[in-house]
Amino acid sequence: MLLGTVVGQVWATKKEPTLQGLRLLVIQPFTTDGRSSAETLIAVDPMGAGVGERVLVVFGRAARHTIGRGHDIGFQSAVAAILDGGALWDGRSIEPHVELAAPPAVAPPSKSKQGA
Amino acid sequence: MFLGRVIGEVWATKKMADLNGKRLLVVEPLDERRDPASPKVTPVIAADPLGARYGEHVVVAFGKAARVAFGGDGDFAFEAAVVGIVDRFDVPEAPASWHATEPPPAPAATTKGAR
Repeated sequence: MLLGTVVGQVWATKKEPTLQGLRLLVIQPFTTDGRSSAETLIAVDPMGAGVGERVLVVFGRAARHTIGRGHDIGFQSAVAAILDGGALWDGRSIEPHVELAAPPAVAPPSKSKQGA
Repeated sequence: MFLGRVIGEVWATKKMADLNGKRLLVVEPLDERRDPASPKVTPVIAADPLGARYGEHVVVAFGKAARVAFGGDGDFAFEAAVVGIVDRFDVPEAPASWHATEPPPAPAATTKGAR
């Protein structure tokens, strides 16, 4: 299990049939040094978490169990809880909601595409 | 399974029903990465039936072993659990940080605003 922040949502029309009707979130794992993780993961969300909320992500059998449709199902990570908060032994608190900054400019937008 | 240290706790009201009444600990795996130049660690969240305290070393198990730690092998919405509170360990090459009994100073960036 890990902690993460919901940073987005994804949609797919062509997909494994057992994924029908499931909400898929993009989640960024929590790190202890206060900097954002470079990696993200996708999790099914039966809880209704919103962007910026901190959630508990579970894997494998625990994840399949969260939607109660048996175990022959095409995903392996899911949101099992939406956090109210948390505490770390160094005195910091884990806030339940994260203000997401605008994404960093990885590459300047191509001028040729502007106005297209 | 891995050796970790309890560095915190989280709580939630909106959660799967079978997480009710279970403590959820933030556990930092002890590994070779604890050097000051690369402090980034993604902690594991583990359900705790044993009552581990902040700073204690614990053994965390995954999957069926974690479910059995809570007295069954049914469907649970967790897959990591504390299965032992460590009395002592003898790892000659362990970095000094493994033996720390106090938390390291909190990094300048707070968790607020970070993900």
